Amino acid sequence: MRPVYLHGSAVSTTWRDASRSLTDLIFECVRTALGTAGISAADVGATVLAAHDLVDGRGLTSMVTAPAAATYLKDETRLGDDGALAFVLGDARVRSGSVDTCLVAAWGRASEGPIDEIAHALFDPFTARPLALTEIAVSGMRAARCLGDFPGYGRWRGAAAARRGVRPADPSRVPATAWPLRAGELPVWADVVAAVVLGSQPGPVRVGGVGMSTEPYELGDRDLTGLTALRTASAQALTDAGVDAASIDVLELDGLTLFDEALAAEAVGAAARGDGMSLLANSPRVNAGGGSAAGYCAPAMGLVRVARAAERLRNATTSQVGLATGASVVAAQVQAAVVLEGA
Amino acid sequence: MGESAAGKVPPLTIDGHWAFDYTYYAGDAASRFFAELANRRIMGTRCPQCLRVLVPARGFCDACFVETTDWVQVSPHGTLETFTILTTSFPGLPEPPLVVGYVMLAGASSAVLNFVDGIDLTDPDAAGTAMLGRPPVTARFKDVCEGRITDFVFTLDEPA
Amino acid sequence: MTGPAELAILGVGQTPYRRRHEGSTPELVYGAVRAALDHSGLEHRDIDLVIGGFAPDALAGENCPDKRFLPAAGAVGKWSMRINTGGTTGIAAAYAAMDLLEAGRGDAALVVGVERMAQARSVPAVFNSIFDPIYERDTGLSTVSMGALRATRMMQSWGYTAELWARVAERNFAHAASNPLAHIRTAYSVGDVLTSRMLAWPIRQLDACPISEGVCAVVIARTSAAARQRGRPLARVRGRATVTDTYNMGDRIGRREGDLVELLTLRMAAQRALGQAGLASAADADVVEIHAPFDHAETMAYAPLRFCAAADGPALVESGFGHRDGGGPVINPSGGPMAANPVGATALIRLAECALQVMGAAGERQVPGAATAVATGQGGSTQFSTCTVLSGS
Ligand SMILES: [Zn+2]
Repeated sequence: MRPVYLHGSAVSTTWRDASRSLTDLIFECVRTALGTAGISAADVGATVLAAHDLVDGRGLTSMVTAPAAATYLKDETRLGDDGALAFVLGDARVRSGSVDTCLVAAWGRASEGPIDEIAHALFDPFTARPLALTEIAVSGMRAARCLGDFPGYGRWRGAAAARRGVRPADPSRVPATAWPLRAGELPVWADVVAAVVLGSQPGPVRVGGVGMSTEPYELGDRDLTGLTALRTASAQALTDAGVDAASIDVLELDGLTLFDEALAAEAVGAAARGDGMSLLANSPRVNAGGGSAAGYCAPAMGLVRVARAAERLRNATTSQVGLATGASVVAAQVQAAVVLEGA
Repeated sequence: MGESAAGKVPPLTIDGHWAFDYTYYAGDAASRFFAELANRRIMGTRCPQCLRVLVPARGFCDACFVETTDWVQVSPHGTLETFTILTTSFPGLPEPPLVVGYVMLAGASSAVLNFVDGIDLTDPDAAGTAMLGRPPVTARFKDVCEGRITDFVFTLDEPA
Repeated sequence: MTGPAELAILGVGQTPYRRRHEGSTPELVYGAVRAALDHSGLEHRDIDLVIGGFAPDALAGENCPDKRFLPAAGAVGKWSMRINTGGTTGIAAAYAAMDLLEAGRGDAALVVGVERMAQARSVPAVFNSIFDPIYERDTGLSTVSMGALRATRMMQSWGYTAELWARVAERNFAHAASNPLAHIRTAYSVGDVLTSRMLAWPIRQLDACPISEGVCAVVIARTSAAARQRGRPLARVRGRATVTDTYNMGDRIGRREGDLVELLTLRMAAQRALGQAGLASAADADVVEIHAPFDHAETMAYAPLRFCAAADGPALVESGFGHRDGGGPVINPSGGPMAANPVGATALIRLAECALQVMGAAGERQVPGAATAVATGQGGSTQFSTCTVLSGS
């Protein structure tokens, strides 16, 4: 297997920009990512996309949208899953030697569709939909459990929320809350596109390791605060890279709400059990740009975290190691973790 | 002692309703294309690299992966490149039979899809066969344009 | 540096394909996966990756139903992901598994393609929702009319007729009669096809695939890992390629590189996959499973697969090409998508059927002595094409 490098990346976060169609937003972000990598669309050997039909409001979205991501007469595939999972598949394409350059792109345009209703439709029509579940509701259950079990969550939630930056006033950008979540702890819906260029030639950031794991569908079968899949995925990624959790300088953790981000910090080993919220409140290592409050729309977010981690490594003055994670729908049922190493 | 798992009961079904409302942003290129329809003009955009005139107008050329630059008005006259006769009814659309086809307008490099009106469809096989020879057609605008693709339809220049 | 791993299909499990299944999706998935594992000789603990294929969620009325059925395929605690590329979903899921195995991300993978479209009571509306909402939805496009636009152009360009295409349909239905999994097992005649209900001129009901449900599961492994299965038949992956075209069908009208009905993407994918396998033409294979939901679409694949020049397609049909007893390659011994088309599984079924043929495990529909097989995949606005070549061990 050969090493894989991240040559370029781009993230665009907008809201209701009527001058741009969805394909315009994808085209512009992908072109920017290709530009940062110093290559043209013709240099791309394969493309791996992550997008969801229901989020995009297009019954088979990649049919209409893939050509905006430099796929014309190319090898292309699409996950209906989180962007970090697409990154792992893109990494495999280069690692195995099947292509020299692979573009990975993911998007979601929250301003076009009814995000809360779409999240409700994720749940089992027999056992959970009649009970009004949404993903925010599951985050609320996680938050309640944390507040009950760990004093640090109550103590540090205010300070951690304050680090998430100024929230937009537009009420349509924030989901209806579920107790005990407060407004400042919720995601801010956005129109998000992320794109990353991977290649076999040495570049500014190396992909050190990846990992992935899956939890049961039924929430009652899961350890809701233990994030079993993320624990496994990050341990695999760290082992694959040959580094330990303590040596990670840059953390970009995907979570729907502040509480999900804090639990992710514990699952990847950056904080001890119960100390995740304290880490978010106090450590500049984690989600420096504001996490889910800086703009959120599945299934783009895992790739956004990878791109943000890569940016932070490129901008660092010393050689650093980063860990980015991505969580799939149905309350983070599948998790992927990626270790990145700066030059 | 548990009961045997083999005991069969009638399979349960429940009704579901699947309706999600969206607001699609057409973007600058399509917005201008539709606005120009109200002026009875069909517009394309030219790719600076392959020089194709893409109709209906696009903001970028997906083959060359560059932004389009010039706006070009194309002729309302063209060729019916291919078509079908829809015979099954469809929610929210006019009653069948309907002819829909791709037309290459003079000055365009790509064909545009729309309805073809005014054809006698009492015998679909006869009507279809008669139109196989790529007949010339012309775009006719409706009296009131709403900024939808259906603001114009095609008609055959000579009866089939 | 080591090159890509050699890959093989070790096992196949399928539900029957039917208009409607009464079991829940996880139950159907579990049954097919159990059968695939049993066929492969591997255990659940040997599986590292589980890749799910599911196409339009709206057809099931569930958002991301993969999250509900992947655990039934044994995904808990393992790598898993969901692929959705429309018609090619099933084969794209298999390619994702192959890509990850080749990168050393595991030794064995389970791929499962699933379709539950009987849960939707408004299938035509769902199929209209796949088209561009800005320029094309208002014109009533559906998967059938999209096919019809191509059929008309093939009549114009190469002289195909409804009668010729009915012969292709008749052969597919004849083959399906010996496939117990097929949804349509009636041996419809040319006359039946030509008098069936008109859907969108020139396509009639029996020119088109049915709406089917079902699950197909396939076990794929690195051959180094499969060595433990010594003595069991394998289907080795000799070549594979996927190519994507522009969405815009109008851009392909009269395009220099390849017209709308010349299927440039399949031509490119077949050239690569056949080249990797050392075949000059898919006609050199014993079995070809063509992913074509319409009879005209099957004939559109003939030139890209190098059976003949495009203009000679009508004469090739005339010659009785593709029949089980025809002497040349047997086309769709399973009956193909015209006999069962569960969207999220159908392209994986083409691969699975080819694997069964070269493993000598295809039962009643076995082509005697089949050693090499070619499977195609087709999806989007006839926009995504795949070609896979398999051979026996
Ligand atoms: Zn161009």
